[in-house]
Amino acid sequence: MTAWIWAVWAILHKDLTREFRTWERLVAMASFAILTAILFNYALDRTEVDPARIASGLIWMTVLFSGLLGLGRTFHLEEEEDALVGLLLTPIPREALYFGKVAANAVLLGVIGGLLLGVFGLFFGLEVRGNPWALAGVMALGIVGFTAVGTLFSAISAGTTMGESLLPLLVFPLLVPLILFGGRATALVLSGGPAEALGGPVRMLGAFAVLALVTGGLLFRYVVEE
Amino acid sequence: MSLRMIRWTALTLATAGLVLAVLFHWQVFFRVPTEASMGLVQRIFYIHAPAAWVAFLAFGIVALCSAVYLWLGEARLDRAALAAAEGGFVFTTIVLLTGPLWGKIAWGTWWTWEPRLTLTLLLWFIYLSYFLVRGATENPGRSQRFAAVVGIVGALNIPLIHISVLWFRSLHPQPVVVRADGPSLHPDMLNTLLTAMGSFTLLFLALFLLRYSVERMGDRADALVREQLHPTPGPTPRA
Repeated sequence: MTAWIWAVWAILHKDLTREFRTWERLVAMASFAILTAILFNYALDRTEVDPARIASGLIWMTVLFSGLLGLGRTFHLEEEEDALVGLLLTPIPREALYFGKVAANAVLLGVIGGLLLGVFGLFFGLEVRGNPWALAGVMALGIVGFTAVGTLFSAISAGTTMGESLLPLLVFPLLVPLILFGGRATALVLSGGPAEALGGPVRMLGAFAVLALVTGGLLFRYVVEE
Repeated sequence: MSLRMIRWTALTLATAGLVLAVLFHWQVFFRVPTEASMGLVQRIFYIHAPAAWVAFLAFGIVALCSAVYLWLGEARLDRAALAAAEGGFVFTTIVLLTGPLWGKIAWGTWWTWEPRLTLTLLLWFIYLSYFLVRGATENPGRSQRFAAVVGIVGALNIPLIHISVLWFRSLHPQPVVVRADGPSLHPDMLNTLLTAMGSFTLLFLALFLLRYSVERMGDRADALVREQLHPTPGPTPRA
């Protein structure tokens, strides 16, 4: 068990080290997120709609779009010189490889999620009326579920001739629960709604994350095996 | 089962399905009473609901065959999953075409974010991605494994998607057949519905078997070509 955790940690550490040396994905995702927020400002007629009222949905859509941008590149890190084959030849279980990748992606998306909350807060004058920790928890749960699904399918799309253009088609139909309950829960916390109302959406987000992690962990081996 | 047996079974099922199809069309047009609130247009129900039943049945077969395929690695399970997916895709399309036609008159709108309608549309897209994944890989073993993963994850997600879309208030008629206090349908309506369901199920099974036998012949042809290009000592692989 300890060996297993060390393997997950090694993958996570490798991916993050590489990311923080090149800044490839974070810069792309962060600029995409901020630019989207700027475009939303012009897409919405601010005399007609109050952006603060629909911000939670916009935040989640932006997390998904910028997330796909980054998740699609998960396995491109290993594309050069068949590094993935090398990784598969190491004596670590496939699930550990998957969970390490998911963890690294979740860290990156967590950074983007935090950035997005700040940017939307700044641009559209959002304020968190509810508990900020609840907001962080909701974002974290949603992001874990999303990266668990996204990492599995990015391994699939990386193995096809269509590449990243296939990823949204594979992932979006499955993300309805995430966008619905993530959006509802975020809106509740932002508006300072009753804490009891948060229970349902949070449980659904949790169920989604657990289901996605378990199926991803079980099925990942069939995606990478040759 | 030999190919000949499969094809004969498929033909028998198709004939039975077509006979039932003629019968239920007769029932729909001449026998069944007109529903009180929605009027004549409600009769599209006898095509819409059975098609939806087959669409979800087919996806269940896809998921089951995919899961066992990953476990045992037998090519015929993958062929069965593909055959079920193609049949299911046809019936999902029928649901999506008949739904708006009915909705326009019964609800006054072509499209509404009604739970079962939304779920069916998402199911259609999951089927679509299943075919795209299969088509977009050059290595056959890999395309089969990828498709199986898509089929399984899609099926596991359907209950969650269903709960999500239910979160919105439902405009759709509530269940009328399977209920604790017995069916609330008029007996003629129930008969027609059951005939239509039987007909669609038989037609789906016939399509499924025919499609399966085509896949099997395709694999056999590939094996023969390989054998001619690179003759190996030993018996010819049999499909």
